[in-house]
Amino acid sequence: MPAALEVSGLTSGYSGAVVLRGLSLAVQPGEIVALLGKNGMGKSTLLKTIMGLLPARAGSVRLLGDDVTGEPAHRVARRPVAYTPQERALFQDLSVEQNLQLGLADARGFDAQLARIGEIFPVLPTRLKQRAGTLSGGEQKMLLVARALMAKPKLMLIDEISEGLQPSVIERLAVVLKAERDSAGTAMLVIEQNVGFALSIADRYAVLKMGEIVDHAAVVAGVAAHVADQLGV
Amino acid sequence: MADLPLSAALPAAPLRTKRRRLALPALLTVIALTLVLGAPELLPTYLVNTLIRAFLYAAVAITVDVLWGYTGILTFGQSAFFGMGAYAAGLVFTHLGFSPGMALFALAAGVAVAMLVAALLGWLAFYPGASPLYGSVMTLVLPIVVSQLLYSGGNFTGSSSGLSGFESFDLSIEAWFRIAGVFLVVLTGAVWLFVRSDGGKILEAIRDNEQRCEYLGINVSRVKVVLMIACAGIAAVAGFLFACVQMVVAPEYAGFVFGTELLMWVALGGRGTLIGPVLGTLVLDVTTSYLSGSLPFLWKLLSGLAFVIVIVALPQGFTPALWSSMKRWRRQAAAPLAALELQTAEPRPLAGLQGAGRHALALQDVRKNFGSLQVLQGISFHADPHELLSLVGPNGAGKTTLMRCIADGAERSAGKLWLNDHEIKRAPPFACVALGAGRKFQNANVFETLTVAQAMRVARTRHARPSLWRRSAVLPLPAAALQVMQATGLDQHLNLPASELSHGMKQALELAMVMALEPSVLLLDEPTAGLTKPERTLIGQILVDLTREHALCVLLVEHDLDFVREISSRVIVLHQGRIVLDGTVDEVVQSELVRAVYAGGAHAGSS
Repeated sequence: MPAALEVSGLTSGYSGAVVLRGLSLAVQPGEIVALLGKNGMGKSTLLKTIMGLLPARAGSVRLLGDDVTGEPAHRVARRPVAYTPQERALFQDLSVEQNLQLGLADARGFDAQLARIGEIFPVLPTRLKQRAGTLSGGEQKMLLVARALMAKPKLMLIDEISEGLQPSVIERLAVVLKAERDSAGTAMLVIEQNVGFALSIADRYAVLKMGEIVDHAAVVAGVAAHVADQLGV
Repeated sequence: MADLPLSAALPAAPLRTKRRRLALPALLTVIALTLVLGAPELLPTYLVNTLIRAFLYAAVAITVDVLWGYTGILTFGQSAFFGMGAYAAGLVFTHLGFSPGMALFALAAGVAVAMLVAALLGWLAFYPGASPLYGSVMTLVLPIVVSQLLYSGGNFTGSSSGLSGFESFDLSIEAWFRIAGVFLVVLTGAVWLFVRSDGGKILEAIRDNEQRCEYLGINVSRVKVVLMIACAGIAAVAGFLFACVQMVVAPEYAGFVFGTELLMWVALGGRGTLIGPVLGTLVLDVTTSYLSGSLPFLWKLLSGLAFVIVIVALPQGFTPALWSSMKRWRRQAAAPLAALELQTAEPRPLAGLQGAGRHALALQDVRKNFGSLQVLQGISFHADPHELLSLVGPNGAGKTTLMRCIADGAERSAGKLWLNDHEIKRAPPFACVALGAGRKFQNANVFETLTVAQAMRVARTRHARPSLWRRSAVLPLPAAALQVMQATGLDQHLNLPASELSHGMKQALELAMVMALEPSVLLLDEPTAGLTKPERTLIGQILVDLTREHALCVLLVEHDLDFVREISSRVIVLHQGRIVLDGTVDEVVQSELVRAVYAGGAHAGSS
């Protein structure tokens, strides 16, 4: 079985600055990898480059076995990949229901998927007709995750999902993501500032520093202290 | 708490950089002046004639660039002001006769009418909360109304044939060339100094993020109206000169077709570059007058095609494209930006805190409905200086809505609210800032194209009025803002535009900007989201220090309960739009209710 995500020698950045310098990283099916690092180290840049939102200057990106390097974002997004960006990328003027429907590849499965989402985020099915833009900040985050889950993706790229969520919702989210991995074999690359949350769900972690991975290992008991050390916490 | 060094002096050579910054433009100005003064005898008469007109059009194009390119106000209406200046001359000279005194009167009348109309238009188009599209439609209506009035003015305005054959200054065509040329060069130079000055950056800040400007205490509507009035005056002067040279005025010069042509010239030349629109206007207007004679129909088609091609291939216009290819050709990094020195500003007394025993913030039965949804259902509490009050509650409890109601008088549906004992009534955000409020939004709300240093200076506008023609080499900031910048490393990226900052750095930048306002009531909506643990800790320390030492009242929305516990002096729990608990940190953390609705099993009570 090919890796869900295989990034090798990736160099990328913005007009003025190179942010990623020859970065290599793989995520296997059924595996959650936490990508940790301080601000401005290139975590979000990596996800944007994987999704084709930023051009790769060197190196390659393979998604579920296919080489997608240089493909435009709309082509990359046709694969069973779900990306939840850090900015609340919802259709603000569409309803909660419409936003959820847009996450689906096949509209016929909506009711079954909605029932599943309702178990995770009970607030969402009660707000189906509300405009997404009028949800509170935390509720928008929930909708973003819910929309990603609707598609039953094989790979999820998740950028700081715990930010702005109340503690009990974060706890439930951890349970949900792990269940998704275990039942459907979904692979996940999770970016987090909340190191505790990230390590509680991840199988492996990687620490990003100045656009390169400086530490990369399995999550085992007692790893939190070592990671904190790496991050300079 | 940790002592942070407060003067982060950067390697600076302010004087030299400044000289270099002004040397090239000064040289260009001298060359341009020499050209316009020396050229008329060397050029064919037809070209001299055409260029006079193009010079005056270019002056109007500059005003369009200031409004649209720099400030983001798409305007079709500058032609109307040009027409007012032109018709002032035409009408006065036709009906009252020509004399130098009359000319002066016509100029004054034209400029005055244009400015008055601009003030009225600005008032109608830019009232607080007006959408940009609505403003643009208003500027489109103006030239249509003005040219209709001119058409229906009978013998007085000459209707569709306009006014002609009136007497004017007895000057040679070469003299007019010099007058129009010097007018254009001086205007370009002055506007160039203005838009690049510290004060001029406010225009770009408005273009980037009007909301953030309002919440930094800048009265955006007033800035836009003043700008509109100034640009109308300049366009009217150009129109006056035009009528004096051509000795003919027609309704077309005030119409929206001309207004749209101006936009095209600016877009092709490169908006927001000043030089681009000037060159664009000169080249296009002169080419048009040469080619439209020989190829009347084909020329329209060709110019239309050229416009489409340029917009598709060079969406920024000619000048920026030329600029970047020149840079690539010279293989040079961007010119080093002027070095800047950060300084600690003198602390100032907090707004409205003179009297003792006052409440920094008081709410009485504040309600907010979205349609039938009641987000806030009667919130009453007060908070005093020195308090660090945390607002916790489940997602969707109404925390952000409450913040919004405190910083903008127009937000709440019912209830009363006082900032430093001043009832805010329906005060817009900039007026709430004047009463002491400073609001940090939930999402990083910054100026994407402005650099860190420029954004910080815009944030200081209220306290340190920036120069309208100079760029200062020092940037005095309050100690708290400097501490935030140093704690998060922002002080190392002073010349980086915000668009290139990471999400967490943008959060820090917004926090620093709000700190720069020196508010007495600080409203922080998840200020540390996206920041690392050490950065959080430092910012927590800064907040504690501000409340203890500087009598601030901080209202904080946070989900990190550990963070809340470490720094708060009091916690309010909001649930479904109501206050369900208001007490000390311990009371709240140990509450069953909080455990049930908010924290979940693992968090409450643990440390």
